[in-house]
Amino acid sequence: MTLSLKHLPLALLVSFALLGAPVQAAKKPAPATAAAQAEPEPAILDPFEPLNRGVFMFNEAFDAVITTPVKFLYTNLLPEPVRRGIGNVFGNLDDVYIGVNHGLQGRGNLAGNDFSRVLINTSLGLGGLFDVASDMGLAKGKGDYGVTLGVWGVGPGPYLVLPVLGVSTLRDTVGRGLRIASDPRTYLEPIPSYSLTGAEYVHVRSTNSATEDLISSSSLDKYRFTRSLFLQRRDALISAAKQGN
Amino acid sequence: MRNTIALLLLSLFVGASVPALAAGPEDLVKAMASEVTASVRSLPPASNGVNPQLTAIIERELVPRFDFGRISQIAMGRNWLKASPSEQKQITTEFSHLLIRTYSNAINNLRDMDVAVRSTRSNGSDSDVTVRTQMVGRGSPTSIDYSLSNATGSWKVYDVQVEGISLVAAYRDEFTALVSSDGVPGVIAALKKKNTK
Repeated sequence: MTLSLKHLPLALLVSFALLGAPVQAAKKPAPATAAAQAEPEPAILDPFEPLNRGVFMFNEAFDAVITTPVKFLYTNLLPEPVRRGIGNVFGNLDDVYIGVNHGLQGRGNLAGNDFSRVLINTSLGLGGLFDVASDMGLAKGKGDYGVTLGVWGVGPGPYLVLPVLGVSTLRDTVGRGLRIASDPRTYLEPIPSYSLTGAEYVHVRSTNSATEDLISSSSLDKYRFTRSLFLQRRDALISAAKQGN
Repeated sequence: MRNTIALLLLSLFVGASVPALAAGPEDLVKAMASEVTASVRSLPPASNGVNPQLTAIIERELVPRFDFGRISQIAMGRNWLKASPSEQKQITTEFSHLLIRTYSNAINNLRDMDVAVRSTRSNGSDSDVTVRTQMVGRGSPTSIDYSLSNATGSWKVYDVQVEGISLVAAYRDEFTALVSSDGVPGVIAALKKKNTK
């Protein structure tokens, strides 16, 4: 699998030109608040709830009819080591973006860790098939453009449920757009481009089964429960990034 | 650090069976997490769904160390005071059943993980702390933070955050909506319905 990288710098440049240059200094982290009970009820911004609920129901149906059977075939036809290798290849590409975003957040050490992972896994790990960097103690990072925007002071904006792609916010949808614009796969011929994106989607969804089952079995109102978990997770990633953890 | 060493020495002195009452929050969390992972590991790889053996582990290891009354109160937020004492009791009973089931489903994922305590921070008083831990195994580590309070004379967990996500906070969102549409009885009815499924 060879990915054309020739458009990458251009795409990156365009993405950041679109953003403008409002790189605010990250705000001072809020002092560690007392645990949950002392916090005010978190304000959830969901002005499009009726529409979101509609898309949410569509996604549930899409999962039942398409994603779940494909996931089933994927996990049953391919043995675990093969699936892990597939995940590692996508993860290796993802590490590039995690590194870029750590850099944009001013977390140079972490970015160095991420890029070392890419170099090691691409060479010693045979093109990313094996995650040897983790075995060497270089832990996989976390983060994306949405987190970076959050660190720069961009609020989440309204909560959005995107068709097929799932839960998001306005900020994270912009982040996703930046990722797509800067992803070399976007600039491949349509068939390889969609196949690779689809393969990653199926792989990621197959690794999330445990979480999805947990949400289904625990929630009283699945829409509301999912929204709360997602927004909490994004907040946690951003405040950890702001505090330099 | 010095405290930890002192406690360790003390525990050697007293013997292996220091009662949970005397243990500090860090030791309690560490003991709880390692006992749970060890118990899960001793089971055959489980299938999905409710597994009575996993539930038994939760009943044995977690339930005595969790303050479900406090957890229910937090999940209800302001609406706790709208509930009568008997409604509060019903909510606590039903909600603890649901949480136990949820945790039973979740702990199977901890099979190949080991706990490492990272730090403990005070939540504004000596009797209210958050112990931050990491579950390490294959793949990226998962952070699990336990908030504990010593209000009743022994340390009890009243909130758990996995990767920054608190289930109790998610339920608070659900309960708030239920109270505003169907009142406190709506919460009890929804919990009962979920538990009988």
